[in-house]
Amino acid sequence: MATTTLERKPLPFNLTPGMLAWLGLIGLCLVIGIVSAVQVFSKGLVLTAMSDKVPWGLWITIDLSAIALGAGAFTLSAIVYLFGLKRFQPIVRLAVFVGFIGYTTALLTLVMDIGRPDRFWHPWVYWNIHSVLWEITWCITIYLAIMILEFLPVVVDARLFDRVPYIRQARTAAHLLHKAAPVLALLGLGISLLHQSSLGATYGIVKSRPIWFKPSMPILFILSAVAVGPALTMAVAFVVEWITRFSGFGLLVYGYLKFWDLAAVTYYGRTPAVDNALYMLRTQTPYNFGFWVMEVILGIVIPAILFITPRFNRNPVYLVMGALMAVAGVIISRWDVTVSGLFVPLSYAPGTLYKLTPGRYFPNLVEWGIAVGIIGYDLLMLTLGIKFLPLFEQGKEHS
Amino acid sequence: MSQKKTKVVVELTRRDILKVAGAAVGSAVAAQFLTTGPLSPFASLKQAQLERASQGAIDREKYHWGMVIDLDRCIGCEYCLRACCATNDVRSDRPWNIVVKDQTSGGRSFFFSRPCLHCQDAPCVEVCPVKATYVREDGLVVMDYDRCIGCRYCEVACPYDARRFNWEARSDENTFIPTWGMAEVDRRPRGVIEKCTFCIHRIDQGLAKGLMPGVDLEATPACVNICPVKARTFGNLKDPNSQISRIIADNPVFVLREELGTEPSVYYIPPKEGL
Repeated sequence: MATTTLERKPLPFNLTPGMLAWLGLIGLCLVIGIVSAVQVFSKGLVLTAMSDKVPWGLWITIDLSAIALGAGAFTLSAIVYLFGLKRFQPIVRLAVFVGFIGYTTALLTLVMDIGRPDRFWHPWVYWNIHSVLWEITWCITIYLAIMILEFLPVVVDARLFDRVPYIRQARTAAHLLHKAAPVLALLGLGISLLHQSSLGATYGIVKSRPIWFKPSMPILFILSAVAVGPALTMAVAFVVEWITRFSGFGLLVYGYLKFWDLAAVTYYGRTPAVDNALYMLRTQTPYNFGFWVMEVILGIVIPAILFITPRFNRNPVYLVMGALMAVAGVIISRWDVTVSGLFVPLSYAPGTLYKLTPGRYFPNLVEWGIAVGIIGYDLLMLTLGIKFLPLFEQGKEHS
Repeated sequence: MSQKKTKVVVELTRRDILKVAGAAVGSAVAAQFLTTGPLSPFASLKQAQLERASQGAIDREKYHWGMVIDLDRCIGCEYCLRACCATNDVRSDRPWNIVVKDQTSGGRSFFFSRPCLHCQDAPCVEVCPVKATYVREDGLVVMDYDRCIGCRYCEVACPYDARRFNWEARSDENTFIPTWGMAEVDRRPRGVIEKCTFCIHRIDQGLAKGLMPGVDLEATPACVNICPVKARTFGNLKDPNSQISRIIADNPVFVLREELGTEPSVYYIPPKEGL
């Protein structure tokens, strides 16, 4: 297996017309996002298309997807520092950076999504240990701290800080911290496995919603995250072949489990409530298209082929394409889980579901505006990181 | 030169780390002391609250508030909905208390109404990340509007669609006031969840005055008082001699979605011919 090593210098950052256009695009995204955010903060969530029937929508999808796609950080840290596959070290810094962007993205969107952003700190002070959402909040907080510790050596190494007073002392301290990398990787692995699966449990434990309430939910969430997170890191780094193979096999396992879930859990283990709910979704919403075409074919089958077959996986273009498809597949699966579960109306009495109409929701302008702003934030962080941080120079200090 | 500097540096860093750690622990202790200790600006407030609570000396463990709704009696007049909207100042397009037309399997129509069921094993209580909603000792599922962060997980998790979110700051005119009653509680702020409270303010104030909820009108939920056909009965499920306990003992009753194991405090008497 040929492994492409990354020996890349930070990209030249001259203000070429292309770079100016790129920065202009990012700026435009940010302006759209900020305008939308100001609107939402001043007038409230009434501006969104969400309702009491469908209280979660696009923003929750972004939260879930961003955290799932940040899973490359813990997966690669574990591979390098716990399983000792040092040759993959060049990409760890980048993976942690992408993870950091993903988690901060989720937190930013979450602050937009809760009705009282001024009380974002309540889960840290007022504990409900029975709540899976409380557990997720704590895990994400702790994991963000772990990622910052993992990433601190990279930040202080940046050439940008060469002339900052006391930077030498800071670097010495940070490199001591770097020695703790295996411990941090182990902690990160434990915490990540917990909250990545708990995000699935957020849906899986809701017994009032028939198509959510199943034990396979956490498994599907964590497997899709482990399979696709590294693929996103790969797409950002542009190409490293071994990681796409890992993702490819991860996708195959995820795909198999999706079938297992469909057959064993949903079909053979079905209850009348699940039957009714799925019938309603299939006949009255584009559920089948979303599931088969977007999630399975686009999100699993095609990327797995591109990642595994020798014909395609030598060509970076196919690999990046595959990674983007897998990423889209994960985002769409999170969307499908969220909205299709909420589209099925609550019925108090069995056998009355057919009388009710499914809920309706499609994000409106202000919700898309926030989404565009969030993408602007991600692109800005990536651009600045690639320019100013030594993301690809890991090999140097160890040789 | 540089090596000497580095040596000094390492020691300084270590000491700095200790200093920072010390400062962090110290400020945490100080914060804890200042917010809960006798120096806290909230201490007097808290003390006053505690004294007031102990003066009333209501033993909530003695009660479990519940309701029985007789589906055969209900005529679908929606008086309960209106009285509720007036008393609790609820938006009429998103009522806490709903009334819908339903049909038995035999085809006869009846009216079905639903307050919050105040489940003893409530899914909404379980999922709240900040304990903004909880089951009180007297069985009421209460909301702490000052603690709710508006994540809407409880709204998603409630199997009975009993919860409503404040999507905007209220500026609507409540047309049910004064015809159907006067607002007895404040409007809820933007961004928090609300739901039926069983008119908790009436229960608490009534008990403090020595009244019995379910017997004395002043201490009984508005929807129960206004019902023209006495389809709703309110009272203490823990007292075997209360009217509600006797009705439950003498009639066939069921609860909604029993298979979920939520243990609602609201019982229904089905139509005579069955559901």
